Amino acid sequence: MTALLEVNHVSKQFGSDMKALSDVNFSVQEGEFVSIIGPSGAGKSTLLRCINRMIGASSGEIIFDNMNVMNLKKKDLKLIRTKIGMIFQHYNLVNRLSVIENTLHGNLGKKSTLAGVLGLYSQEEKEQAVNILHVLGLEEHIYKRADQLSGGQKQRVGIARALIQNPRMLLCDEPIASLDPNSAKIIMDHLRNISRTMGITVLINLHQVDVALKYSDKIIGINHGQVVYNGSPKNITKEDIQRIYGSEAEDLIFDVGGIHAS
Amino acid sequence: MEANEQLTTAKQLLDPHLPKKIRIKTLTKSTVISRSTLIILALLSVYAFFSFDYKQLDIGEVVLSTFANLKAMFLEPHLKHFSFTHALYQVFVTLGLAFLTTLFGAVIAVFLGLLAAENLTNKRVSSVVKGSVAFIRAVPTVLWVLIFAVAAGLGSVAAVIGMTFHSVSYLVKAYSESFEELDKGVIEALQASGANWWQIIFQAVIPSSLTYMISWTFLRFEINFAVAIAMGAAAGAGGIGFDMFMASSFYLDIREIGAITYFILAIAILLELVAIRLKKKLKVNG
Repeated sequence: MTALLEVNHVSKQFGSDMKALSDVNFSVQEGEFVSIIGPSGAGKSTLLRCINRMIGASSGEIIFDNMNVMNLKKKDLKLIRTKIGMIFQHYNLVNRLSVIENTLHGNLGKKSTLAGVLGLYSQEEKEQAVNILHVLGLEEHIYKRADQLSGGQKQRVGIARALIQNPRMLLCDEPIASLDPNSAKIIMDHLRNISRTMGITVLINLHQVDVALKYSDKIIGINHGQVVYNGSPKNITKEDIQRIYGSEAEDLIFDVGGIHAS
Repeated sequence: MEANEQLTTAKQLLDPHLPKKIRIKTLTKSTVISRSTLIILALLSVYAFFSFDYKQLDIGEVVLSTFANLKAMFLEPHLKHFSFTHALYQVFVTLGLAFLTTLFGAVIAVFLGLLAAENLTNKRVSSVVKGSVAFIRAVPTVLWVLIFAVAAGLGSVAAVIGMTFHSVSYLVKAYSESFEELDKGVIEALQASGANWWQIIFQAVIPSSLTYMISWTFLRFEINFAVAIAMGAAAGAGGIGFDMFMASSFYLDIREIGAITYFILAIAILLELVAIRLKKKLKVNG
């Protein structure tokens, strides 16, 4: 097992006094399912966006697939981004386009500007899109417009758009935060499936600690921009959770013991 | 029966709780200012009517002859100096002028609109483009036509350039505002998959704002039709406007003006109907 992603001493400063991340270190192995948990405003989203440089980190280094993301040229950065799929809380689909068009958008990074502008896709690309949509259970909705779908379906289109990139890694920014428990479970099961069957590394921001503990191979706890826990979900203790969420975590609405028991 | 009962009980409930008149408007600073503005305007208009120099005109007579003129214009229209087909042809010339300037304006405005949208470029480029189109918009279309007439001479060329100029500035504002309404997450999502600027524009930005763009463009087309009529008269750009100018200030034929007005009205109503149908269709699909 080699480390696919290594984050070393990464800090991010917004303005002069807002420190979003300070000296973050962790590594992710190929094929791992890693959850990042922490209170709102702890820097989870910033950390995720630093990895594909949607936000530039202030210092440190981020090694993805033996390349330092921090000092890539524009062209190489685009190449790296095609290898990293991203999924969002609000799905971020183009509402007026169909499901299959939205799915094919994942391929834009690999196409020439003109082909992308005109929306010309090859037969193989279309077949792949249909296959992925079939796996995600969306084959009936291929020609529906994205805004006619339910939240859970939209998120599955978001996953399809990320998967068509043939990514090495998926970055998921709170993918289930706006979904009902049922759709959330479907999405999480799909993500775990993807990670297991396709060997794609998944790095996911979560608000639901119980979900994170249930699905992950590894948990990274963040508070005030610092990593306060980095390890297996099996060894996490009540004290660790308290350290991640601060003092008011005394009576959080879930029970760590119960999860370990099940 | 039941309703009556309810009414009486409601009255009984209300009566004891109404000791005095309830005001629904309170005297705040803004109502005082708006009311005093209205009163001052009313007083000024009354004063104006008393201070006009009427030059021994009899108001009653003037009003009557105006009505007579209007009656001649709209109830007895005729075509004397040109035929019906000629008038129809001239209307199409005016429509053509409006169409051409809207088309030129729309094509240029799409690209400038992309530069003017803050979420697609940076703040500096956006404010430079927005500032310059605001300046162009502040000057009326007629004035732009006359300015370009200095170089191109009075006529259709100056009218096309001047009207295009103003259409661009109008549409850049409309387009850039609809581009800016796009959720920035969508742009982020495509950027994260490695898509470049042009791909994002054509795959996300334009599809999302197409409905707005079409309805704004059509509105500008209607405006340009009205402006094209005026340009025919003021800048010699030809079309039905020029015939109207000839009828009114050369032949002094009120009845012909009436006939031309009906032509223009018919086209305007037609455009309006098309616009309504277009919008309905866009709403179904969009």
